[in-house]
Amino acid sequence: MMMRGPYARPLRLRALCAVLALLVAATTHAGVGETIYRQGILLSGEPLQAEREPGMHIEGATAACINCHRRSGLGMTEGRRAIPPIAGRYLFHPRAANADELDLPFVEGMKADRDPYDEATLARAIRTGVGADGQPLSYLMPHFQLDDVQMASLISYLRSLSPGPVPGVTTSVLHFATIITPDADPVKRDAMLEVLTKFFDDKNRYTRAESPRLHSSRRMMFKVNRHWELHVWQLAGAPQTWEAQLRDKLATQPVFAVISGLGGRTWEPVQHFCEAEGLPCLFPNVDLPVDRQSDFDSLYLSKGVLLEAELIAHNLRASKAGASIHRVVQIYRAKDIGKDAAAALRTALHDEAMTVVEETLGAGASGHELNALLAKSQPNDILVLWLRKADIAALGRPPARVARVYLSGRMAGLEQAPLPGKWRGLTRMAYPFNLPDRRRVQVDYPLGWFRMRQIPVVAEQVQADTYLVCAIVSDAINHMVDTFVRDYLVERIEELLEHRIITGYYPRLALAPQQRFASKGGYIVRFRDSNGTSLTPEGDWTVP
Amino acid sequence: MTDTNPSWVRTLAVCGVLVLIQTDALADDDASEHHAHAARRTTISTTQQYAIPEVRLIRDDGVGVLLPAEMNDGRPVVVNFIFTTCGSICPLMSQVFGQFQRKLDTDARQPHLLSISTDPEEDTPGKLRQYAQRFGARDGWNHYTGTVEASQSAQRAFDVYRGDKMSHTPVTLMRAAPGRPWLRIEGFLTPDELLQRYRQLLSTG
Repeated sequence: MMMRGPYARPLRLRALCAVLALLVAATTHAGVGETIYRQGILLSGEPLQAEREPGMHIEGATAACINCHRRSGLGMTEGRRAIPPIAGRYLFHPRAANADELDLPFVEGMKADRDPYDEATLARAIRTGVGADGQPLSYLMPHFQLDDVQMASLISYLRSLSPGPVPGVTTSVLHFATIITPDADPVKRDAMLEVLTKFFDDKNRYTRAESPRLHSSRRMMFKVNRHWELHVWQLAGAPQTWEAQLRDKLATQPVFAVISGLGGRTWEPVQHFCEAEGLPCLFPNVDLPVDRQSDFDSLYLSKGVLLEAELIAHNLRASKAGASIHRVVQIYRAKDIGKDAAAALRTALHDEAMTVVEETLGAGASGHELNALLAKSQPNDILVLWLRKADIAALGRPPARVARVYLSGRMAGLEQAPLPGKWRGLTRMAYPFNLPDRRRVQVDYPLGWFRMRQIPVVAEQVQADTYLVCAIVSDAINHMVDTFVRDYLVERIEELLEHRIITGYYPRLALAPQQRFASKGGYIVRFRDSNGTSLTPEGDWTVP
Repeated sequence: MTDTNPSWVRTLAVCGVLVLIQTDALADDDASEHHAHAARRTTISTTQQYAIPEVRLIRDDGVGVLLPAEMNDGRPVVVNFIFTTCGSICPLMSQVFGQFQRKLDTDARQPHLLSISTDPEEDTPGKLRQYAQRFGARDGWNHYTGTVEASQSAQRAFDVYRGDKMSHTPVTLMRAAPGRPWLRIEGFLTPDELLQRYRQLLSTG
């Protein structure tokens, strides 16, 4: 019977409250703990509050656990400080006599000879900074203000962190995938796959039989040599179908991480898939990466043409020609990455008093049409050509009185760009790599490795990058010992990358939390001669 | 450029003398932060002599500057090294700088606070300005970036370079005036302690 009259509203309200309470209860242990841990935001939407000592107040994102204990909950090493793991199994594990008896994957800062936490002592540690043994924790550990419900949510989240076996890892095999989009360049595809295959062969040469877990000293807990297995995920069809294809492939063959890969016009669906699955997507070969600050799993060697746009903007500003610049005219092909690069340059020049216009060349337009478009240039125009090699080769006579021309090095073919001699005096090229003569030693190493394995060099930069990525991932896996946790792989790479000596096409590589592009700068170069590949940098390595 | 100082200061500094170790109710560490006795906070103060390298840095306002000129304009200087994507040590050091600066509001001699990035390729002037804002930096507190080489030169000159940004340790340096010795404090200070050390340094010259 439906109730009416004055009692109806309160009852409805009560019902609504009950539903809300149920919703709150349902989310308490799932999302709330994660939001506190990662973002420092409480259930109410208020910032998490904490203090290190009276007057040393922190709140919100600055107070979030993730800053020190990392997304994996496995802690980190900073300076001489090993920030301990707080993933549940490290907190609640019974005391062991020594590290050898501690049946937990090794991470820096783990403790064997400590009483386990229980819910009450852990809540005390989080609120008052007193450890399971009754002793004060580190000065760096803040004292958090959390009520019982939110404390329970946080502890529940800690229990869920880095739980147990990870898909794609067996006692004897580590599974990796590499992803190739259907519009990827077929020559680069084969070149990349040959490097990957040979690297995996090399890795597996000494792991034909399963090796026993080696016991060792307290700080080194080695380790089964696992066979590395590569799965090539070749996508087909339209980009909007890629995510479903990838989900199917992952369900059929779980992998620990995605290594290298090759893209074309867009990588967005692949990145979206990796982020949704929490799957590390390690340094694909793409000219147009996805630059999304909130993403975690997707790492790149370079920001590609987006970096080139920033370099060109920086050069335009720095050249102080701004006052005399009439227009910046950007030309790109429809259905190619130049459109995105042009948008990035437009954004970068937003505060400058320059007119920026874009001209689109049809996807199937001829060289004649390109030259007709160029002929429309006005005196003192700055041209920015987001065009590929074939278009560069088809350039006719430069338009009269154009002030300057910029090329995208990545799209035009770097020093191999087939730029006609008449254009060379006018033209500068964004070059987001180390200069050829300065990277020789760094690139000789992979080139020597290719020679020894009879790998033909047909796409040097893609092949050198692919080799570099294999070496980076291999180093990181070695440093993980047996702790196969996907977030931890990304975190190890963030920490280790800066130490690399062989950095291929890049002068240096470095990452950190919230840094997703390892090489940050580049050059603006000019061709030295009317033909040939010699370059002259205009200025130093620049981080725009 | 080299500061000039009485030879006894140089001798003591070279010998690593004038070491003052203060243990507070909480702190410092060595290998493991959550170890029971690691919870006490210790600072180690030494008097040092540093030659400020002639490196060009980019200040947070985008202006290129020479480090000696920034440090030798007559104001007392207080220096630390940070990077903006650092999770634990730097935010704490920057919070202390921010609170220290606010506590100094009424002091006649305002110091110049300098925070030099150890990750200069990431820390563009714009990112440094955002970072400074996060910690309430006011006029008189500048952040600096530049080339990797320039940042490393500055780090080496003040003996804080540890090979990579993640290996850093908390160090605060201060000097009362150009030509005077540097007070080097390793470990975490509270804003009140920093204020006390600063005033003490100025009063003793």
